[in-house]
Amino acid sequence: MADPFSDAAITAALGRQMTRAVQRQAVAASNLANLDTPGYRTKEVTFAAALEDELGANGIVTTDARHIGAGQASDPSTFGESRDLATRRDGNNVQLDRELLGLTRASGDFSAAQTVLAAKFRLVRYAINEGR
Amino acid sequence: MSTLFNAISASASALDVQRARMEVAVSNLANAESTRGPDGQPYRRREVVLESAPVNGADRTFNVQPDGVRVAGVLEDQSPFRRRYEPSHPDADADGFVAMPNVDVPEEMVDMLGAARAYQANLTAIGLIRDTIQKALDLGK
Repeated sequence: MADPFSDAAITAALGRQMTRAVQRQAVAASNLANLDTPGYRTKEVTFAAALEDELGANGIVTTDARHIGAGQASDPSTFGESRDLATRRDGNNVQLDRELLGLTRASGDFSAAQTVLAAKFRLVRYAINEGR
Repeated sequence: MSTLFNAISASASALDVQRARMEVAVSNLANAESTRGPDGQPYRRREVVLESAPVNGADRTFNVQPDGVRVAGVLEDQSPFRRRYEPSHPDADADGFVAMPNVDVPEEMVDMLGAARAYQANLTAIGLIRDTIQKALDLGK
């Protein structure tokens, strides 16, 4: 990346943040929908999977034979099952408050990125309109 | 964007299912004392069985496929009927016992509360996702 502060780079980064927020919202909504489904396991967007996704299909680029690569991803999906949650007797481990919190947090994240992106677009429009 | 619409579909399917649960619980409560059904037997408690199901027409944009939920079936509870001593009842057997439906009223009330809470939670989820969609659309202003 030539200039990390270029309009394109910042816009792309904000876009990624919004995508991630949307993914987290979708997963939380899906967990909430299955609040009472026997045997359903809570899903979440895992950081490792998200990082892998960002790095693209090639994984970490190695420039030397001695470098350690990322290895092949076993599952292409960016979400997995969360562990360490108390499981109820019907095998379901969805927690209402946790999912609502995740949903609200993702919503705030999206809002933040959207506000910055809108400001960025305003600047660009200002430049296009020659300051009018 | 379509991931968000799929998420709303998932939440909407949950609204459907929770409403069905509520209806069944209400029917159980209403028939807690019905000693004669269409088959001449006392009413049997019904129970909704839920299963997770992928949302219709879900694509894999952003690699996330939200899971909805659906009613797999409404089954009859096969536990034995309650027996109540009431010799004057027309349906009493030779010993004076009446077979009453196997409905446990407090259990139904708890089930209804659970369904109401889950309905509320999914409605909140739809609201939050709708806000996100609105925010995304505001970028075009």
